[in-house]
Amino acid sequence: MSMVEFSAVSKHFGTTQVLHDINLKIEAGEVVVIIGPSGSGKSTLLRCINKLETISSGTLLVAGMHLTDPHASESDIRREAGMVFQQFHLFPQMTALENVMFGPLKVRKQNKLAAREEALALLARVGLQDRADHYPAQLSGGQQQRVAIARALAVKPRMMLFDEPTSALDPELRHEVLKVMRSLAEEGMTMIIVTHEIGFARDVASRLIFIDGGTIAEDGAPQQLLNGSSNPRLKTFLQHVS
Amino acid sequence: MNFEAKYIWESLPLLLQGLKLTLIISLSGLLGGFILGLLAGTSRALGGKISKTLSLLFVELIRGTPIMVQVMFIYFALPMVLPLRIDPVTAAIVTIIINSGAYIAEITRGAILSVNKGFKEAGLAMGLSQRNTLRYIIMPLALRRMIPALGNQWIISIKDTSLFIVIGVAELTRQGQEIIAGNFRALEVWSAVALIYLLVTLCLSFLLKRLEKRMHIL
Repeated sequence: MSMVEFSAVSKHFGTTQVLHDINLKIEAGEVVVIIGPSGSGKSTLLRCINKLETISSGTLLVAGMHLTDPHASESDIRREAGMVFQQFHLFPQMTALENVMFGPLKVRKQNKLAAREEALALLARVGLQDRADHYPAQLSGGQQQRVAIARALAVKPRMMLFDEPTSALDPELRHEVLKVMRSLAEEGMTMIIVTHEIGFARDVASRLIFIDGGTIAEDGAPQQLLNGSSNPRLKTFLQHVS
Repeated sequence: MNFEAKYIWESLPLLLQGLKLTLIISLSGLLGGFILGLLAGTSRALGGKISKTLSLLFVELIRGTPIMVQVMFIYFALPMVLPLRIDPVTAAIVTIIINSGAYIAEITRGAILSVNKGFKEAGLAMGLSQRNTLRYIIMPLALRRMIPALGNQWIISIKDTSLFIVIGVAELTRQGQEIIAGNFRALEVWSAVALIYLLVTLCLSFLLKRLEKRMHIL
């Protein structure tokens, strides 16, 4: 079973079509990096996977569930696909620990003690065990994003979606987030990452997708696409981002 | 006419009786108005078509008519069409509930709409239901942001209880007026009445300030 399967998916916002006839299959364990100019539809594609956007036509299967099936529960789909946002969106009224415990408590209905223990372990994994009692406002952007990754992992999703996870960060804070993502990839997590970090795509991704004008323009091995693609649009794009 | 403080002391027991009634009307009115406002404001911000329209009608109707007319309508007009007798205190409390409720509905709506959409998406994205996202994420943030405006509205409502003099509720202002009818000491008695209102609203301001400090508006 594929983790994600787009078949002839289109998406409109009003009269503008942002995704055109997308066909895409992502298997367990793949680390897929999606690049493309802004407004090309890459974030929308990602957000369709956990139903933050609904598709206009076609079929979309996520972890075996039909997203267009009216009986399929949105919650069931979403807890299989953890999401990390560009602006982190940590809950500001909760400490780092409470943010990470929140999903297990309210979504997975775990008991408090177990949730706390797991949350502390997750914070340690992203290198922030000593920041457990800090509020988001007391953390740097890089730290907030690492807590956000831990928060998404705490729900035990089968795949992780990253929507430009380092775009809001200063250059010197990016590497700490990328390091956590790299270790996740090494552990075999299925990851779909919208990013402009070409270096990360080259080193960590198992697959690179270039989206242009709402269609998949290129799909292949990162080294191959980054070093010698014949696609002129991709070439221009790569010149602009690097 | 000299200011003679002894008239204040003389009238204090009656004024305090009036204050007691003012506080009863205010507190139950504010509590009820808060609940009504939360419900109406939440449905206007997030509800379906029907509940949105209903709360819009409610807000416009109440906000667009004077509170004095509202209380007289409830006290004098309603019993003419409905088989019920309303005592003045109940009419006063009901009026404060619906009147402050309409304003608090707009405060609630504004606070909910001010919460970054990203927090809601973060909640939904982890598999939380709409209802629980509202309950655990949006409302805790919105309620904090409501505190300053809520304090404003509560103080206005407390002062508005003085208008219920028109249906003869023996609240603070009415007591003052009756004392003056007997002793003609307008200067002393109105000063005392004003001071008592000021003390009550200052206490409320102080409590809200402490609450605001404790809660951190995020």
